[in-house]
Amino acid sequence: MNALQTKYAKEVKAILAKYPDDQKRSAVMPLLYVAQREAGYVSRQHLADIAEIIEVTPTEVASIVGFYTLYHDQPEGKYRIQVCNDLPCAMRGADAFLQGVCENLGIEVGGTTDDGLVTVEAVMCLAACDKAPMFQVQDYENITYYEEQTVDSTLKLVDKWRKAGAKKK
Amino acid sequence: MTDAVKPNVETTLVNLTIDNVPVSVPKGTLVVDAAKRIGIDIPVFCYHPKLEPVGMCRMCLVDIGLPAVNRETGKVETDKQGRPVINFGRALQTGCTVEVAEGMVVVGYTEKVQKARQDVLEFLLTSHPLDCPICDKGGECPLQNLTMAHGRSDSRFIFDEKIKLAKHVPLGEMIFLDRERCIQCARCTRFQDEIADDPVIGFEARGRSLQIVTYSEPGFDSIWSGNTTDICPVGALTTTDFRFGARPWELQASASLCTHCPVGCNTTLNTRREAKAGGEMVVKRVMPRQNEEVNEIWLCDKGRFAHHYAAKDDGRLTGPLVRRDGKLVAATWEKALALVAEKFEGAGKGLVTLAGGKLTNEDLYNLAGLAKARGGKALLDSRMAGGDLTAQVGLSTGSNLADLGKGDAALVVACDLEEEAPLWWLRVKQAAERGATVIVANPRRTKLERHAAFTLRYEYGHEAALVTALVGSFSPKRADLPAAVQALIRDKDVKDAGQAIAGAKDLIVFYGSEGTGLAESAALARACANLLIGTGHIGRPNNGLVAVWDKANAQGGWDMGLRPSADLAADLGAAKAAYIVAADPAGDSPALAEAVKAAGFVVVQDIRLSATAELADVVLPAAAFTERDGTFTSGERRVQRLHPAVPAYAGLRGDFAVTAQIAARLGVAQEKRLATGVFNQIAASVPAYAGLTSAALSEVREQWPVIGRGDVYYGGTTYDNKQGLGVQLPVSGDSPALTFEQPAEPAKFKGLKAVPVTRLYDRGTTVTPSAVLHPRLPGAFIALSVEDADKMKIEPGQKVQATLNGVTVEVEAHIDNSLAQGVVLAPRSFGLAIEGPCEITVKK
Repeated sequence: MNALQTKYAKEVKAILAKYPDDQKRSAVMPLLYVAQREAGYVSRQHLADIAEIIEVTPTEVASIVGFYTLYHDQPEGKYRIQVCNDLPCAMRGADAFLQGVCENLGIEVGGTTDDGLVTVEAVMCLAACDKAPMFQVQDYENITYYEEQTVDSTLKLVDKWRKAGAKKK
Repeated sequence: MTDAVKPNVETTLVNLTIDNVPVSVPKGTLVVDAAKRIGIDIPVFCYHPKLEPVGMCRMCLVDIGLPAVNRETGKVETDKQGRPVINFGRALQTGCTVEVAEGMVVVGYTEKVQKARQDVLEFLLTSHPLDCPICDKGGECPLQNLTMAHGRSDSRFIFDEKIKLAKHVPLGEMIFLDRERCIQCARCTRFQDEIADDPVIGFEARGRSLQIVTYSEPGFDSIWSGNTTDICPVGALTTTDFRFGARPWELQASASLCTHCPVGCNTTLNTRREAKAGGEMVVKRVMPRQNEEVNEIWLCDKGRFAHHYAAKDDGRLTGPLVRRDGKLVAATWEKALALVAEKFEGAGKGLVTLAGGKLTNEDLYNLAGLAKARGGKALLDSRMAGGDLTAQVGLSTGSNLADLGKGDAALVVACDLEEEAPLWWLRVKQAAERGATVIVANPRRTKLERHAAFTLRYEYGHEAALVTALVGSFSPKRADLPAAVQALIRDKDVKDAGQAIAGAKDLIVFYGSEGTGLAESAALARACANLLIGTGHIGRPNNGLVAVWDKANAQGGWDMGLRPSADLAADLGAAKAAYIVAADPAGDSPALAEAVKAAGFVVVQDIRLSATAELADVVLPAAAFTERDGTFTSGERRVQRLHPAVPAYAGLRGDFAVTAQIAARLGVAQEKRLATGVFNQIAASVPAYAGLTSAALSEVREQWPVIGRGDVYYGGTTYDNKQGLGVQLPVSGDSPALTFEQPAEPAKFKGLKAVPVTRLYDRGTTVTPSAVLHPRLPGAFIALSVEDADKMKIEPGQKVQATLNGVTVEVEAHIDNSLAQGVVLAPRSFGLAIEGPCEITVKK
């Protein structure tokens, strides 16, 4: 029993129960969700733990993390604002929007605010071209769409997160 | 491996034409392979004949047409001339993923196809660094060759826009990755997954960011890693050993053999004359040489990297040494040999010769001949028995592990096959993948178990009992069997495995030396022979007993009449004169060092000054295996020949010649000029070798897949075999009777019981001179069970004092959760005094 397995014993058991014993490796995706929920990324230790649980090598787990863009192997902001700036979105002002958000937050595209709250990334098509500028927010647990956005509305959203975080403290 | 080349597969022939050449190939053959069989090269990068096709690189695009079939009549439509109408698809197809079909027409020479290949190459080169002048692969590079053959002469991409990536990424200590050169063909990752079953390298990210990564500890943790550099179609993967070492076109190639284990992998030694070696010829790298019956096109990393012990460095002996005033000082051959002869003469029947198991048959023959002529003892430096049995019920002529498949079985007992004989592990694993029933019997977990239909556990010391229980599972009950055997017979897995063995079409039994000393090995070999005789699996190809010898040429040693000593310390200690050749008893065990000191007059013949040599009265140097001619007999009883790759030091000869010179001074006539001369004598006097000739050993047959310098794009940089596939010996023809012996109860100890195990990377004299392997060589260690470690409060990695046979060594404690309580694993060749099961005390 490794750390991940001990901490989420019930959940890991439930996940493994969905797959036949000789096809444990198929449980890699849901186990990665569990791992990523902790701090928004999959650590080296998580890789090793998951590999042990499903009896593959850590390298194989890392390949999965590396393939999917929504798994992360580095800690970044608590909220990842993922702005689509593909052609249709760009034509509705996504590029300027992205720049505006970043300038106001004082970061580069791909960067994270000093307080570790927000990371802003440019991503490929999110299938909401007609509602651009738009982005999705990936936090530790969920992905939420925000459509027909302006720099102002986005900064308000960030402010809300900031206040909520401060209150918790 | 495609179905077409797998044995045990029905071979319905399919007719097609490739570039207008008609060809008939077995159903299931891929278009690229069909073309290769008739000498048409369809260029490939990601495809490799030993791997499953993936169609990733698109280099093998061809135009494929099929006969038009009338939907109403179901008949092939014909044109006015009566020729079948061929429908070509709109798009080109990858020849590596399409299987042949009746009437298929494959075209590769049209402008359309040529253009497509040119485009694929242009894409591959968009960000390739083109650093061929400093690339190790340059000169034997598929990308370079195929660009010459199919590429554009100019690039439309701007050099400045090329992506710059890391060029020296260590994937481990042995393999480097150049990310810029990688064309993402996945040959390496697929090899590690499909062939080596060590998926410790993988792809990360996608598209242009895709890169090879490893997350194993240590990086690229696989004993097969070197093979990926052979099949890498570019210079992305290189070995630390050869990196920036030489240009391929400067290298000469000599046929040799690996002398590390009993598999007998065929190798090619690449050599060149080098200024930094003072103008001497130097071995730059060891490459696999194709022998589909032995090592296919692969080599383990020990075979590839542990060759430096034969190098001409300061540690090599270059002339005889004689002890004078307590010190070893240089002497002339004449004086040294005269002294040796005088002392051997005086020793009379008190002469004991001890021969190392990596000597050639010729050396062993002369040594045994000398000992016998003088009435002395001819001992083999091995702790395994059964060479007499393998001569009777071993594999016979025409055996090939690649023939094992559905309906056949392989039993691997008391053996960690990947550690003891890596290539056999690979071949048995492949047999399991073809449907053979693999039964692994070992007291602790080993890698082969992943492919086993039955995994049988027994207590260390009960290996012969386990095999006897397998016999018992299908034969009439016997009340006189020991309780241990009776208990094992009742085990359901043992019963089922026994039935599978009895019902197998062909059966090969491998026995190793996990936990056994000489006495246990003898009992185990006997029990295995009984199993084979009892089930009728002897005397025909692909049936019989294989000893996973602790030394590469132990089988040859037995065949030449040498035997392991039941009590080596006593035999050496009592010797009036000891002649120790290519063996290092003092280095192996402190107890044997005392015996060497007690011996009367000690002559050590070796290539380096071993611990034993330091105790000797006379040290005679010999040529290393890279410098000489000779033959080895593998555990599969295949006699194979090695050739000199580099010249020996002036005056140095093969061991057989040195022995012959001593013999001559004692009035014993022996061949001393040519190894082939000795080989002819062996053929004339050793029955199993009767009629063998050097010419027969040098015979080659056509092998699949096609490998070679002109075909590096296809099979990799492995060398083709032009120097001989060797000859498998016949079995003796006696039909041995089932001779039943009661398996002895293992010795019980009051405290913990240490059992010897073999590790591939050990601290023996043939491994430690290779610096490239050092990061992978563990220090001296023992492995404890979880229970014992808990009881003694020992943490993994903790330093402890281990005392075996009166000798205390500081070792690192490992913990193996598949070990039974009370058992401690003690690895051989790590400075621990262990030759068989014995008592051990462990103190913090």
